[in-house]
Amino acid sequence: MFEAAIEGLVGVLQPEAFAFMCLGVLIGSLVGFLPGIGGPSTLAIMLPFVMTMKDPLLVIALLVGMDAVGNTASAFTSILISVPGSSGSQATILDGHPMAKNGEAARALSASFVASLLGGIFGALVLFASLPMLRPLVLSFSSPEFFILTLWGVSMVGILSGNAPIKGLLAGILGVFISTIGLDMKSGIERFSFNFSYFWEGIDLVLVALGMFAIPEVIDLAGRKGTIAKAEEFGSGYVQGILDCFRHWWLLLRTSIIGVWVGFLPGLGSSVADWFAYAHAVQTEKNRENFGKGDVRGVIASEGCNNAKEGGDYIPTLAFGIPGGTSSALVLTAFIAVGIKPGPDMLTSQLNLTFAVIWTLVIANIIATAICMIFAKPIAKVCFMPFYAIVPPVVAFVFIGAFAANFHTYDLTALMIFSSLGFFMRRYGWPRAPLVLGMVLGDKMELYLWLSYTRYGLEWLARPMVIVLILLLIASIVYPIVTARRNKRDAETTLAEA
Amino acid sequence: MVYGIERILFTSFVGLVMLGALFVAKDWPIRASIIIFLLGGVGVVLALIQLIIDFKAARVKEAKVQRPTFEVEALQHQGRWGSLEIWAWLWGLFFAVHLIGMPIALPLFVFLYVKLYGGRWATALILTAGTWGFLYGIYDHLLHVPWPKPWLAFLLPS
Repeated sequence: MFEAAIEGLVGVLQPEAFAFMCLGVLIGSLVGFLPGIGGPSTLAIMLPFVMTMKDPLLVIALLVGMDAVGNTASAFTSILISVPGSSGSQATILDGHPMAKNGEAARALSASFVASLLGGIFGALVLFASLPMLRPLVLSFSSPEFFILTLWGVSMVGILSGNAPIKGLLAGILGVFISTIGLDMKSGIERFSFNFSYFWEGIDLVLVALGMFAIPEVIDLAGRKGTIAKAEEFGSGYVQGILDCFRHWWLLLRTSIIGVWVGFLPGLGSSVADWFAYAHAVQTEKNRENFGKGDVRGVIASEGCNNAKEGGDYIPTLAFGIPGGTSSALVLTAFIAVGIKPGPDMLTSQLNLTFAVIWTLVIANIIATAICMIFAKPIAKVCFMPFYAIVPPVVAFVFIGAFAANFHTYDLTALMIFSSLGFFMRRYGWPRAPLVLGMVLGDKMELYLWLSYTRYGLEWLARPMVIVLILLLIASIVYPIVTARRNKRDAETTLAEA
Repeated sequence: MVYGIERILFTSFVGLVMLGALFVAKDWPIRASIIIFLLGGVGVVLALIQLIIDFKAARVKEAKVQRPTFEVEALQHQGRWGSLEIWAWLWGLFFAVHLIGMPIALPLFVFLYVKLYGGRWATALILTAGTWGFLYGIYDHLLHVPWPKPWLAFLLPS
């Protein structure tokens, strides 16, 4: 094994492989920085090119390097202009952008980069260490367990929406409904398409995310007619942000584990991982009142998790040939095309290639973090530009990103509709995150529910693991409510005594 | 009070969406409607509860919007026109994209917005050029995006 590890390291450090890795990191970072251009679409564009390459190490260096760092650079736009550069950095907005507004852009960025680096390295380490251990667990999961997991995801984010748990749950259900729009391939039924062919393919998540988060923020900025940052300084917390990651090492470790776990579960992507991690931070950390107002722990939780997820994503991809998400599915396609055989071979005859993936994850994260740290300050200056220099380019980005969803003008109509919905939700205090998560998990939730029903009838509810997961689900709903009531009662008692 | 009514109307809208979804899905086969019935039923009940909460809040006082933990601060109308000004820009851009096409509408929007709000010529020109360069460099030249034909192209003689 040691020889394979060395062989893998030497392989990715060869000049040609290293150059390809740097190219992958640059493309991945650029894609992460540009809202609306997703990692999967870039990987898809690269596929025809990499499939002509003969050396599997070069393919690993390029594609894994690209895939590993997309979420690192995407923190720039999430924190600075409240537009998620990638789906994995949506939760970063909630605390990262308020920090930028409060003049702590430097602290938020450095915390996010270091959390991304440490999370990414953690994910890479777990990738190898967990292969022999986790296989039996995942194989024991079936559709009922996956259904409860998806239900848990939506309800957890919904119920944790602070003082508005019912609104949160309703938003989650709305998200699931939106995910059902389109032609149902199994039954052949057009759902909520009203004979309108544009809806047959369903609503693209990019449109919903841009409408929910980007445009309402633009409206806010344009309405204030100031700068993004209320405080007229970049902030001197650059070192502070780095130290924050080490100060909150236990949170970072926990959210990294969540990232690896979500990545490991097939079908759940970055967009789920960061919300899970954020929810976990809000649920478990003390002094939660600052979450959503600019708490660095929110940034650390989200960013540590989304990079750790990449390592977890490769566990089922390499070990079982089951891609954990869209990106890893595309990487898997390229792997197979160049002769890499996911499965037991990756632990025996092609162990050096498994190590090459692990080393690429580690080195790519280090390179991406170094690039981001070096250029953070010049890029962060965008915070202090006047609104008229920010609003139009962001709107242009959003319109281009929306149009790129399907290259159809109806995409822009959908963007305007979801922007209106996002605006009203924000205006009336409705949480938007559960809606997006409901949309992400909706089709999987439906599929798992249907499979459970057809395979087991109602007996699936009596499966031991399902019972355990249902109990955990109930606990995660009841616990925050009970805690909130207890805190309120304690506060009232204290007031009465005073 | 007006704000309270707005909130009630929005909650009612969400409730009606739930009801509408259940109504539309009633004729579908179980494969296509199972998730709608399961979650829609819960959704209608939750919407009713939320509606009661909103009614109570509206009757008691002009309640401050509760800020969800997962959310940034609720938007407040600002200035004389509130958010209408930026909405006008957004809808204007939306129709301009359809009328003259995205490659012209977006740089034009950027230029006009910067200039009309007091930006310097240099700022306006740099941002406009950047937007144009991004559109043509990446989407047109590299990705060969098929831009839709603008309405004006249909109206004007060739």
